[in-house]
Formats: sequence, C-alpha cells, structure tokens
Amino acid sequence: MDVPDLKIYPKALVCEESNIKGDVIVSAGCVIHPHCNINAENGSIIFGENCIVEEYATISNKNKSPGNYEILYIGCNNVFEVGCTVEALKIGDKNVFEAKSIVSNEVEISNGCIIGAGCRLEGKQTLLENTVIYGNDCLQREALEKQGSQILQIDYLRKLLPNYHHLRKSNYDPKKIRSAV
Amino acid sequence: MANFMVESCVKFACSCGILNPLSKLYFCRHCLKIRCGFCLCHEVDVRFCSNCLENIPSSEARLNKSRCNSCFDCPCCHHTLSIRATSAQVARKSGEETPKEGDAADPSKVLTKKSYYLACLACRWSSRDVGIPDQISAKGAWPENEYVYQSRFQSILEYYQNVVIQNKQEKQEMMRRKTLKAHKFPSLTDRTGLNVSMIRRQIGWPDKNTPKITKATVTPSKALEKFDELPEKMFTEKLNLRNVTTIEQRHGQPAHQPFTVNKLYPQRKNLCIKRSLRCRQCEHNVIKPEYHPGSIKYRIQLFAAYHVPDVWLVSCEKPLKAGVLCQAVLKLSNPTIHDMTITIMDLPTQDEEYEMMEDLKKSFEKNFTSLITSSSTALSTSSFSRQTSITEDPRLVSKKTTADMKMLESSFILNHRDDSAEFDELAENPTVKDEHKFIVSRKSNKVSLKVNFTPNGDLVAGDEVIIGFTMQYTYINTVSNTPDKKEPQQHALTSRVYINMGRIPE
Repeated sequence: MDVPDLKIYPKALVCEESNIKGDVIVSAGCVIHPHCNINAENGSIIFGENCIVEEYATISNKNKSPGNYEILYIGCNNVFEVGCTVEALKIGDKNVFEAKSIVSNEVEISNGCIIGAGCRLEGKQTLLENTVIYGNDCLQREALEKQGSQILQIDYLRKLLPNYHHLRKSNYDPKKIRSAV
Repeated sequence: MANFMVESCVKFACSCGILNPLSKLYFCRHCLKIRCGFCLCHEVDVRFCSNCLENIPSSEARLNKSRCNSCFDCPCCHHTLSIRATSAQVARKSGEETPKEGDAADPSKVLTKKSYYLACLACRWSSRDVGIPDQISAKGAWPENEYVYQSRFQSILEYYQNVVIQNKQEKQEMMRRKTLKAHKFPSLTDRTGLNVSMIRRQIGWPDKNTPKITKATVTPSKALEKFDELPEKMFTEKLNLRNVTTIEQRHGQPAHQPFTVNKLYPQRKNLCIKRSLRCRQCEHNVIKPEYHPGSIKYRIQLFAAYHVPDVWLVSCEKPLKAGVLCQAVLKLSNPTIHDMTITIMDLPTQDEEYEMMEDLKKSFEKNFTSLITSSSTALSTSSFSRQTSITEDPRLVSKKTTADMKMLESSFILNHRDDSAEFDELAENPTVKDEHKFIVSRKSNKVSLKVNFTPNGDLVAGDEVIIGFTMQYTYINTVSNTPDKKEPQQHALTSRVYINMGRIPE
C-alpha cells in the first residue's frame, strides 16, 4: 500500500500493515503499530516526536469547519493505546489515551492529560494541563505528580517490532533536503 | 444461569412466601424445601483481604476495624492501590565513606536507593500527590493519619463498653437471684444454704465476684447556638471543582471527610468475608465454602438450581389481551441425574396459603423450643452462644396472578441430565411413545411445553399479566438422614412458580 503523502522521518518506526490515509507526517522516534487507523483525508496530521500509536487506535482529523486549525497537530510523547478513538482539534505533549477511550471532535487537549480506559470526552472543551479522566462517570482530577516517561517502552518496541513486522522506510530527511538546497 | 444478573421473569416462591429467581434460592436437602436468604442463618466463616488473600482471624480483624493491614484503597476512585518501586541514585555522602576504606577509593560510586510509593492504576493517584514520603521497605510503615475526633470517639466507645458490661452483670445478678428461688431442692454444693458471696456479705466484706466497674463518664455533646459566619471569599472566589472532593470520596473516609483533594489519604482495604448458610429449621448447612481465601469452591453447595427443575419462558403470544386466550411456550430443565415426573397444578388458594404459613410457624416454634431445652444448659455455661434464630415471618406471596392458566391434563416425565449426551451427536432422543399433546419438543434434559392462559378480564393497558402454578416434581434424595434406609428415597415436592408474561399493551 503506497501512501504518497506520508512522510516518515528517520528513526521513526511505521509498520506496513498500518492503515494510513492522507497527508501524515511522522516525526522521529514515533512508533506506529500495525492495524491502527490514521485518517488524514480531511486535513493533514502531524505527529510530534516519540509518539506511540497502538493497534486499532483510530486517529482522524475532522477539523473541517472554518476558523479551526486545518492541521491536526499532535505533540511529543503521546500514547494512543489499543482501540482508542481520537478526533481532537489539537493535542499537546505527554498525553495518554488509554484503551477504548473516545475523544470526539471539538476537544482541545493540552499537556500531560490522561484519558482513562473507556472514557468518553465529548462537547466543546479544552482540557487543562495534567487532567486525568477516570472511571465510569468520566470524573476529572488534576494529577499533581508528573507521569513517567514512555522512553523505556519506545526503546523496547523499537527492538521488538522489526522482528515480527515489515516496516515502511523513512522517506523524508530534513537534513538531506537542506543539504540539497 | 443466564438470568443471574438480569431480572428474571420466572420467580419461585420460598417456603416463607418471598419470591426470588431460582438462581438466588437454596435447597435444604434435609427439609427438602426451597430456602431463600432470609430463611437461612448467615454465619461468617472466614475474613480475608480480597487483594492479598490473607486469612485474618476474627480477633485481629476486630482489632484492625475489619481492614487489611497491608493493602490500601485509592481514596480517589476506591480501586486497590499498588505499590510501585523507584530507584533513585543518591550520591554517597562524604560522611558515609569513612567506615569502608575500599569504597572510599572509588568516589564516583553512587548508591542506588530503592523507595516505594503507592499508586492507583485507574486514576493515577499516587501517595506523592498528597505529600506522603516514599517508604524504604515495600511493606512500608505508611503513616496512620490521626483524625480530629479520635479521642472523643475513643472515650465514647469506652463509656458504652462499660455500660454493656454493667448491664450484663446486672442481668447475671438477676438471673442468680431468680434461679436460687426456683430451686426446689438444695444442691449438694449449697448444703448450708450459704454461698461464698452471701458469707462475704454477712461478714461485711465486699463482693469478690463482682469487681466494681469504674464508671467512665463522658461529657455529653452540646448543640451549638452560634456559628462562625462564612468567610467572605466563599462568595467572591471562583471555586475550582478539581480541588474539591466528591461526596463518594468523603464517604470513603468517614472519619475525615476531607473537603479538598490534598487531604485524601490512602485507606486500608476493607476485608471480605465468606459466609456459610445454615437452614434455620433443621440447622444443617446449606452452603459451606472452603476455608482457603484463594479458593472459590464450596464444600457444601445446595443451590436450588442443582435440585429444582428450572423454568424458562421461551415465547409468548403477543399482544396480550385481557380476557382472550393466549398461548405461551415454557421450557423446563432437569438438573438432577434422576428422571423426574412433573405435574403442573393450581396454586394453593389463600386459605391454603394461610394454612401453610401456620404450619411453618408451628414447626419453627417446636424446633425453637426443643433447641432451647436441649441446649439451655450448654448455652448458659459456654461463652459461645449460637445466633438465635430470628425467623422470617412467613407471608402471603406478594404477587397475585392476573391470568387464569389452563392446567395440563396429565403429568409428564422430565429426563435426567446427562452431561455426556451433549457431546454425543448421534444419540437419539429416547422417543416417548405416546407423547402428550402439550409437549412441543424434547431435548436431553429439557422439555418445551405449550400452556394456555387467559388474562383476567378486568386488566387494563399497562397491567402485568402474571401466571402462576404449583409444580410438583419427584425428587430422589440420595443422602438419607436415617442410617437404616440405604436405598434412595423418592419424594414428591412442590414449588410455586410465578411467571411474568408481560404487560397488556397500550
């Protein structure tokens, strides 16, 4: 499957079985698992560094209405766990979307937020920094403690995934382009 | 057991008259009666922590207020907290280098110090959030938080414990006086008519047996007349709901009831119990779990679903109309390994029901008095006293049938359960030669029946249509109470079944 607009930076890990549509930029250090859906047909999606997108995660850009960001910016160190559905307007850094969580359009996510497993986030809102959403009733609380980094997990995946999956080659190197110019 | 969580439309009446789905009923093998939770004596067998599965004896449990010593619940979302370990590298201080010369030679060496903190995996709360310092050991001596009214509660508790002791002593005194009078014949030990305490009293010494209790006094609480005014900022400042605890969080810490989230402290985990259930009438165990907390098995398990044929409502002709004959299909299944003969009969009339209630009451009274007389001596001497049987008063069945069911003309046989038959595809169903007309189909231990009923003429739209019948079934008791009768006995048992067929449509 060839995606013409997919830009993979060096050191990013994108599995071939991943389902990517539209204009997507995957920055260095990202790990994109097989069978995740990234839909950028309505507008491009830019992943920051060291993001993890797990299996059956669905990330789509639905920022179509005028006045909104046309591009879905996803910051650094975000984790999209198994089966989550994210259609947010904008995503900051160090967020975790736990398994089967749903974030609908019109939601803006700042930094250090955690959307708990199975939680739904709907309606126009901006999540403040370090918000944790948990439980059946999607209660909110503020995490005072900083969350641990995902570097260990990324390093592990970086070792493990190439053993079992075909990877897409990185096709975009900013350094090379600069040198060519 | 598909109807374990959802409300079942088929309900069985317990001998006390309370309706329950079959999955919540028990069957006493000795009385041969269905029993509900109210007709059974609940006894706590084992106290254990559901997280560490440690068996905790009752005395220790009482001491710890029925809480586990080592496990904690999250104060934020009430999940179990898990202990996380972190290792921090601490540079060796110069002072520590002196004892070992060899180490001192290598100044670059750093100490890895392991420390532990509590974290909730559900809501990401951690003990660091509220400033509880990390512990050095995994079992860590987590700080026990003191609450404001601790001493007050302690004094009230002491006071009431004293009151209880005093009451007990007074009662004993009363009993002693009464029993002395009641004796017609002098006992051997009391030949002189004097006992130790009487002699002591005559001499003028204080009674030895009853040490005077020091009366603890508590200052009674007073209602306040005046309160402080609410601070001004209450009205002017914007409330940050993230810092305010929810009602559930406050109830999780009843002693504190903190207002802000920075006062949420980990709560010791509540213990769980395993119950054994005992029939109130014959005092035999109906349910007895295995003692080991990790085991989910039973030593005695007399659930009604293993002994009483279950009834399902398969389909019902819709729409239901008042006064019009309707047809429904019921399915019966036999859980036992013996064939059953089933007869569907009318429900007992109200008078008969009253009679049954009276019988039940009488049997209880008889049982109770015999119990008292047989064990009165044992009871008075031993500190162990059995939980007095508070019997549930038998009552009329609360559900009234609102339809007239046409009874089946004859009884039929329900085949026994055969677990291996399910895997044997070729096995033909034993064809019953003259199958009754009302039987739709048979499959292994199940029978589908056609029943006809007429909803009452006075029902209006929205009313429930309830049919009821008495199901008589033969039950083969494999464990005989009497040793002389070795062969299994056959009994004809009845149970009252009520089925909610649905509502009359608008």
